[in-house]
Amino acid sequence: MQKHFIAGGLLIFLMLAAPAWAGAPTAAVENTVTRVLDVLKDPKLKGPQAKEAKTQKLRVIYKDMFDEMEFSRRTLTRNWNKFTPDQRREFVDLFEQVMEKTYLDRILEYSNEKVVFYKETMVGNDKAEVQSKIVTSSKEVPIYYRMILKSGKWKVYDVVVENVSLVQNYRTQFSEILASGTPEELLETLRKKVKTH
Amino acid sequence: MRYCLSLILLFLMLVLWAGPEVCPAAGPAADGTVSSAPAAAAVEETKQDAFEEEYTEDEDDADDPFADKPVTIADPIEPFNRAMHTVNDKMYFWLLKPVARGYKVVVPEPARLSVKNFFFHLHYPTRLVSCLLQTDFAGAATETGRFFINTVWGIGGLLDPAGGGELLLKKQDTDLGQTLGVYGVGHGFYIVWPFFGPSSPRDSADILGNQALYPLSFLNIWYVSIITKSVETVNKTSLRLGDYEAVVEASIDPYIAIRNGYIQYRMKEVEERRARSLCFRKMDRDAPRPEAAQPEE
Repeated sequence: MQKHFIAGGLLIFLMLAAPAWAGAPTAAVENTVTRVLDVLKDPKLKGPQAKEAKTQKLRVIYKDMFDEMEFSRRTLTRNWNKFTPDQRREFVDLFEQVMEKTYLDRILEYSNEKVVFYKETMVGNDKAEVQSKIVTSSKEVPIYYRMILKSGKWKVYDVVVENVSLVQNYRTQFSEILASGTPEELLETLRKKVKTH
Repeated sequence: MRYCLSLILLFLMLVLWAGPEVCPAAGPAADGTVSSAPAAAAVEETKQDAFEEEYTEDEDDADDPFADKPVTIADPIEPFNRAMHTVNDKMYFWLLKPVARGYKVVVPEPARLSVKNFFFHLHYPTRLVSCLLQTDFAGAATETGRFFINTVWGIGGLLDPAGGGELLLKKQDTDLGQTLGVYGVGHGFYIVWPFFGPSSPRDSADILGNQALYPLSFLNIWYVSIITKSVETVNKTSLRLGDYEAVVEASIDPYIAIRNGYIQYRMKEVEERRARSLCFRKMDRDAPRPEAAQPEE
């Protein structure tokens, strides 16, 4: 009798616990990607005169999806300490603009293709990797989102495109520039980069 | 008494397990706008703190369970490589891209996909030898099956009936550079070849081996090689127009971005091949983290 009771209880926990969080990170990414594609496909936002409105809309979605602070700290790592708080503020802002452009350009290219989300791996309670792929007639492009749970929201802190981690890729670029240059010089390069967009 | 105890235990466990899961889910939906203002202020505050906060981790990605071990590659001939990078870059924008664009206009996509399949088909010997050397016998069998099916029913490799439908024989896109990688041979150092692009002494072995195992090389007519290679390259580029531009556009220093992208990409490929290898898979299972699979350090 008691054994049955405990077994039954266990079953109830499992049933309660599982649906509470399963798929939350995937749902978060899938939702944002759909929103991005909706904006890109919106006929009202086509054409050059609607460009500003479109960019504005995409920026809001992007900010909602990515954690720019995590991105910046993870790419700069120990070099972060070479920056003054003001420089950090500017860096985070500039780097976010670079990343936003990069990401949206990539997605934009595939706006007519199919995006499939097929796997989610959780580590602990606050980290997850969501695997997706863009399927076109000639190829499949795997894109993985690495996410962190921050104040109840799943935010992306690294994107892995075709097995290349963007955080790691930018990290090598920044560390090479900072090995011979100052933070101010890196900021100047970024300012120029953002301007030419 | 024991009955009572298990009841209490049950209750406790219910609260502990379900409590924190249910609450946040119900929280935001119920509060709606009421709590959003102070929450936003709190987020803003932690953001301000984050700018002041120093970076304290000793190791990169210490708190990232998904990150691969950072890969680096020696680059002793960087001035030469940078020069070759510029040459390839100019060649892409001035020659390859305009030609590929014109080609794309003239040749419809299904035809270009067939051309791609055909050239992929021709490289079967390289893949077979690579699979065998990697002791990936399942892969070798798959490739051989694909070769015969696609030769006969795929009109000499123009179509890929083996890859779809019920057969689903997956392409084993492997090469001799990966094979050496599976054996634990490191990259050595970074080389950018004109035409061939990013490489290393290890992966250069692949360029040579590929030449030796390429059926068309046996014709031994130099212009045939050049023409087929050109067609293959233009066709491939026409299917991936925009990819290279996106990488350049996104990077702060394109040379370093491509170098790092190349080694990250190759490392992952070698890891995947190693996991398929009959010999090395076993070895890796005994030793949890194979040092040899890391191309560099």
